[in-house]
Amino acid sequence: MIENTVMLLILVPLLFSLLFVALPKSLYKILAWAFFIIGVVLSVTLVLDCLPTGGAGAFDVSESSFPMLENIVLVLEVLVILFILAVSAKYKNWPTLGLGIISAALFAYTYANVPGAEGASFNIDQFSQVMILIVNIVGTAIILFATGYMDIYEEHRHLHRQKTFYFTMSFFLAAMNGLVMVDTLGWLFLFWEITTLCSFVLISYNMDQEGINNGFRALALNLVGGITFSIAIILLSTKFNISTLSGVGTDAAAAAVALPVALLCIAGFAKSAQMPFQSWLLGAMVAPTPVSALLHSSTMVNAGVYLIVKLVPAYANTSLGTAIAVYGSFTFVMCSALALSQRNAKRVLAYSTIANLGLIIASAGIGTPLAVAAAIMLILFHAISKALLFLCTGEIEHTIGSRDIEDMSGLIKKAPLLTTLAALGMVSMLLPPFGVLLTKWVSMEAASSNPVVIVFLILGSALTTVYYAKWLGTILSSSMDKNAVPHKKPETYFPLSFLGLAIVVTSIFVFSIYHYFIEPQVNILLKAVPTISGQAGQFTTEIGAFAYAAIFVVLALAILIYLATKSMFKPRMTSYYMCGENNLERDRLMFRNGLCSYEKSSVSNIYLQNTFGESKLTTLGYAISIILIVIALAGGVL
Amino acid sequence: MNNILLAVLVLIGAPIIGCLASGVDRKITARLQGRVGPPLLQPYYDVKKLLSKDNMVVNASQNFYAVVYLVFIILSLLMLVFEQDFLMIIFVYTVASVALIVGGMSTGSPYARVGSSREIMAILSYEPVLILYALAIYLLTGTFKLSALLDKSSPLLMYTPLIFIAMIVVLNIKLKKSPFDYSTSHHGHQELVKGMTTEYSGPGFATIEIAHFYEYVFLTGLIFLFWASNPIIGVLIGIIAYLLVIVIDNITARVYWQWMLKLSWSVLLIISIVNIAFLYVSGAQLA
Repeated sequence: MIENTVMLLILVPLLFSLLFVALPKSLYKILAWAFFIIGVVLSVTLVLDCLPTGGAGAFDVSESSFPMLENIVLVLEVLVILFILAVSAKYKNWPTLGLGIISAALFAYTYANVPGAEGASFNIDQFSQVMILIVNIVGTAIILFATGYMDIYEEHRHLHRQKTFYFTMSFFLAAMNGLVMVDTLGWLFLFWEITTLCSFVLISYNMDQEGINNGFRALALNLVGGITFSIAIILLSTKFNISTLSGVGTDAAAAAVALPVALLCIAGFAKSAQMPFQSWLLGAMVAPTPVSALLHSSTMVNAGVYLIVKLVPAYANTSLGTAIAVYGSFTFVMCSALALSQRNAKRVLAYSTIANLGLIIASAGIGTPLAVAAAIMLILFHAISKALLFLCTGEIEHTIGSRDIEDMSGLIKKAPLLTTLAALGMVSMLLPPFGVLLTKWVSMEAASSNPVVIVFLILGSALTTVYYAKWLGTILSSSMDKNAVPHKKPETYFPLSFLGLAIVVTSIFVFSIYHYFIEPQVNILLKAVPTISGQAGQFTTEIGAFAYAAIFVVLALAILIYLATKSMFKPRMTSYYMCGENNLERDRLMFRNGLCSYEKSSVSNIYLQNTFGESKLTTLGYAISIILIVIALAGGVL
Repeated sequence: MNNILLAVLVLIGAPIIGCLASGVDRKITARLQGRVGPPLLQPYYDVKKLLSKDNMVVNASQNFYAVVYLVFIILSLLMLVFEQDFLMIIFVYTVASVALIVGGMSTGSPYARVGSSREIMAILSYEPVLILYALAIYLLTGTFKLSALLDKSSPLLMYTPLIFIAMIVVLNIKLKKSPFDYSTSHHGHQELVKGMTTEYSGPGFATIEIAHFYEYVFLTGLIFLFWASNPIIGVLIGIIAYLLVIVIDNITARVYWQWMLKLSWSVLLIISIVNIAFLYVSGAQLA
């Protein structure tokens, strides 16, 4: 049963990637709908399959089918490396070529010196199930959105590469599905490298100089992570005879495996674009918006934090864990500050992603049951909210032709539904009673045992409120000009509404999600359960309590009061108060200036470029983050 | 049953206290300026008159944000009274602040947008201090739940003098008093017109005023926690802090928002962090 579902989860996206290549463009919409529905069905089936075995499923691939699959894996790994060498040679990108050669040498060394295994295993615990749900529901929703987005995108840029696009997107989902289910490190590494490769293809999608440069930056930085990953595999299998991910935390004493664990974590940092690797994710913004949404929410960056959280048993309550917590919280505060200074909506979101992943890593590093529970929940809630926000930004760009936050003022008048959904996404990132805030609250309470981490989290949290609040206010502000018409297409608005609904539903059922997925998972990882109890919409930990149901009720109450009193106080529309100087019929935002001519008033948000600008903070961020990684490594060796 | 009674008492009592506090403020300010000043109940007369006015709006949704602001201020006050998780109270309170900011921006008026931008910067200034205050309570009682703090017999202030100083400034910022009154001003004659609330009038503005009454009680309630072990002293400290803010309001001139940000992120944050560091190092617990 479960074996079949697992194989289908990898094979179906592969099949769809081939279908996208084989079938004409006119059928893409039907294909994407089918892919979305099958993705939902398959991921739910997997969760149901695991039910009889107590929620988690594991099985081994051995005997007859193993040698064949192992050979496929080997061939694919060789192909991946050959592809990297070929493209970097073709575009004469020497650093990437160098890194590719190192990877090839490490692969050859692994092949020759690491004893071959007799079997491979899949381990589908609750965390994997959560990831599968994210990848196959959010990921396919993004592909569905792309079918309504890419035509206009390509028309603007005179591109005809949609076959490559859909092929790679679907392939990406297949690799990601494999990555979160497999337990054998060698196979995990293959999927890891495939996601790197897919992201390279997608980032350089436009095939202009900027796209190719940024693609290579992503490739090179992720190859660094890949190299530390393969060194860790070699160390683990030759010195400790460990070949599975779940074995890292349990088969050997935590202190002994600290160095390979630290190396694996660095691979995770690179994949999750933590400082000092953040430039690849920012560069990835040149790609079409569905690519950004996919990289940021459901796939690529989640692979990094997935690995780090899975390794929790190997570093919980060690000095390495503390170093990871400090590093993660540092990235959180630094990238939140950088996000504050950005006007480009996609860059704000990119920094926000990096910051939230930093928060996840910090929570994992703290290593208490409560903190680890927060880390896993944050991965889930962040994925949904961020996918929605990215897709909304893409749709906003097609509606008003700009991704500058300042140009978005008055959006509520131009595209009310789109703006409401985007506002919901932002509110869910920073305010109760939504999931992201709830988990941020849990991780802050868990972090309060570590003074450095908690102070970083407090500062980062305030910065987060600021950059989302000003964007939220801007899109909800109503200016009087109206010159854009939203083009409502079901394949773009359905995924948006679906994700918006998912935010509300997951936030309402947060305790059920916690109870079914998170609590058993923390038990697997740490052999201890966070003392969270909950009943009737109350979330109680050993150090705090949060009645999220009460907040939902009050929110509903606010809407009711507003609607009820609306008829009592009949609104009468009027014009702005402009100190008596707005005498023009044409535009009510005009002032009369000293020369008796008219000038339009314009107000922009505060960005604090001189304090938090990229030019001010990036170098500092690089320096401190590298020092922190070195400390983590040193802590691992000593 | 008792809880419901208490909730009703808070719902009715808090705006009365807040209204009186606002009246006292205007009276004292007038005396300090050599005027007679309005009657003590003037804020009540104002609200009453506002409610009878026409509901003039520049867009259909602006009053919704005012309602959200009111409702979430009340919720945070109730959570405070029922001794809930302090960190969560701060986040709920943030909902109210953000609602008012968004409400201001939603009108699209340039005055309101300038005021809202400045208010956002105010959040950046005071929120870290508020959360550090919550952290201090956690360190001293082992939980973020206020119920534990109120069971203790010794006052919080003994261990958190520096955070207390920072909180006085936060009170000043949150009550939008001079020198930090740049997001919306209490006097009609400043260049910002009425800042965030420029386009609010009639019932919408009355909602915001009523929310302010609740907010007065909520904010002095935060100061009360510093000596919650003895309610009488706690209330006295709350009143003294409030009077101090009124005096500061009258003897200082408005500063740039940049100045406030610098003050907050240098002085206020550093003294709060020093206080927190002391708590970590000493491992002190409230008796």
